[in-house]
Amino acid sequence: MFPAGRSMRGLLIWSVLLGAVLGKEDFVGHQVLRISAADEAQVQKVKELEDLEHLQLDFWRGPGQPGSPIDVRVPFPSIQAVKAFLEAHGLGYTIMIEDVQSLLDEEQEQMFAFQARSRSTDTFNYATYHTLEEIYGFMDMLVAEHPQLVSKLQIGNTYEGRPIYVLKFSTGGNNRPAIWIDTGIHSREWVTQASGVWFAKKITQDYGQDFTLTAILDSMDIFLEIVTNPDGFAFTHSKNRMWRKTRSLTPGSFCVGVDPNRNWDAGFGMAGASSNPCTDTYRGKFASSEAEVKSIVDFVKSHGNIKAFISIHSYSQLLLYPYGYKAEPAPDRDELDQLAKSAVTALASLYGTKFKYGSIIKTIYQASGSTIDWTYSQGIKYSFTFELRDTGRYGFLLPASQIVPTAQETWLALRTIMEYTLNHPY
Amino acid sequence: MPPRLQPPPASGTRRPRAAVLPLALLLSLALQGVAAAPAGAGEPEDSLRRRDPELPRGLLEQAARAALHFVNFRAGSPSTLRVLADVLEGRARVNPKKECQVDLVFTTDRYNPEEGEERLGKCSARVFFRNQKPRPAINVTCTRLIEKNKRQQEDYLLYKHMKQLKTPLDVVSIPDSHGHIDPSLRPIWDLAFLGGSYVMWEKTTQFLHYYMAQLSSVNQWKTNDDAIDFDYTVLLHEFSTQEIIPCRIHLVWYPGKPLKVKYHCQELQTPEEASGTEEGSAVAPTELNNF
Repeated sequence: MFPAGRSMRGLLIWSVLLGAVLGKEDFVGHQVLRISAADEAQVQKVKELEDLEHLQLDFWRGPGQPGSPIDVRVPFPSIQAVKAFLEAHGLGYTIMIEDVQSLLDEEQEQMFAFQARSRSTDTFNYATYHTLEEIYGFMDMLVAEHPQLVSKLQIGNTYEGRPIYVLKFSTGGNNRPAIWIDTGIHSREWVTQASGVWFAKKITQDYGQDFTLTAILDSMDIFLEIVTNPDGFAFTHSKNRMWRKTRSLTPGSFCVGVDPNRNWDAGFGMAGASSNPCTDTYRGKFASSEAEVKSIVDFVKSHGNIKAFISIHSYSQLLLYPYGYKAEPAPDRDELDQLAKSAVTALASLYGTKFKYGSIIKTIYQASGSTIDWTYSQGIKYSFTFELRDTGRYGFLLPASQIVPTAQETWLALRTIMEYTLNHPY
Repeated sequence: MPPRLQPPPASGTRRPRAAVLPLALLLSLALQGVAAAPAGAGEPEDSLRRRDPELPRGLLEQAARAALHFVNFRAGSPSTLRVLADVLEGRARVNPKKECQVDLVFTTDRYNPEEGEERLGKCSARVFFRNQKPRPAINVTCTRLIEKNKRQQEDYLLYKHMKQLKTPLDVVSIPDSHGHIDPSLRPIWDLAFLGGSYVMWEKTTQFLHYYMAQLSSVNQWKTNDDAIDFDYTVLLHEFSTQEIIPCRIHLVWYPGKPLKVKYHCQELQTPEEASGTEEGSAVAPTELNNF
């Protein structure tokens, strides 16, 4: 043994007792010390410490030559004793790791996150549904991989404070005429956000490869908002897969959320939406009350040069144009109808999926305050809403195996609309 | 490149057959000079489709859905459920009893199509919508979609499969959030859909129609006198209001015997004011059964 004062011995015994009592299996409070032994005598001292089994020391780098650092993990109960010993014998040390457990916890988290997250958009799994974090991670990867083509804009924040992001695909210019596509405005329509992710990747693949898409991007910009209702989307993952609306609180009501596709300033307050906050088509207290809607309104107005606006929903397999709030045909009805027909023909060419088309009010139901009625009123002539697969067999719970085929066929329709917009400037 | 999976076709991809309508069907419906209006914008290019241009949007489809729910319930066969393929023709009028009477012909597909099977059934129906009240009266006849023996066989297999499932079933949702149904649980879904058909038939009106979105819980599962006694909760999706309506359903089924169903749906709160859209009824909870 080593010559130690009474207090030293007491401390060491105390540490034994403590060790026995606590008997922890984890590493809470464990520290890693780096000891510097200046000469052979000091090295010997550390070796003596090594011999004290009851201290449960774990040498990561054992005592060797003088001057070589000695790293040792010290369990919490032994810390006082070990430090006292080192100080008593003039052994210098530093604390390398303050708390081993916290470090392990952090690492664990990162590992799980790393496993779930793919490292590039080439290894990303497009044939499965993803969480909000995964989609936001995807967006960052895409931007990092294609910095010349893709950038990420934040157009606002949700009710619950989440950032609202839009991807901008641009080959240059200044405020070029643009095409807007949004998915996921109704959070339970999962095939739409999943398709949005696929569209984003597709654009980066096809630029420079596909003649049409290249021509489009050489003159126009594309804006893509993949998760248009992030609060709702998070809620469909955490609590209620069938949630449709935003997650805003309505004063005076226990019920949560506003239908973001009834909240636009077009026919707001008229028949075709509900004034009851507990319903799924609640329009909100006033037009653009929802941050998720207002941020797009502000963006569209300040951009001022959007030429086509496409809002994507599911399900029903429909391609719709204005109006939803009134039966009177839109002034451009004939042209929109023709374009819709071409688009659904292109869509059906891939897997034979049949889409009907027409104005909202005639084809699906009367709906007031809807997105494309507003965008059309802003002068965006080519305003369309899609309702993707299926027709009710699975509805919102579309099997993940159908994500890619849905995205592929829908892309053909989008391309048709975008190409037409390019060739028909106004 | 995104990984390429073998893409399965979407539901409803089968192109409509150029149906040759048997004369008998036409006669039995006593159709009167329906204007041979060209297919409206966006409707499938089927030159044999004829409809009265005055018909309210979607009324024929509405009637077809109600009739189909009724057909499925009445057939009592979870292995040979039908879905709507196309409405071929139809007309509507308001009869002296102030009911909206719809006569129509439509085609059907199997809900669980088998590989390579492309048979289309055909139904003719008369549906009476009673002024927005639920439970439309239905007269419907359909061509046989599948041989009687085969149907009995498949039902019996399904029945046996279900009797073998361990109870209590610790299943949460079918399908799961990703739309996946484990093949071993598929018969449960089919049987739940059969019971759901009764509920959806009763609740369908001119303006409200339903899809079964999810089986959200299986509460009880036992067999009494060999019949399957099944107590569960489904989420129905009403389309025009976009509401999700939970319905607790209790059914008793034995292959070949009529289905017995009791149910209770959780209705929405009374709306403060009516709007143009039908807002989910304000009636007291309905407890209807056919026991």
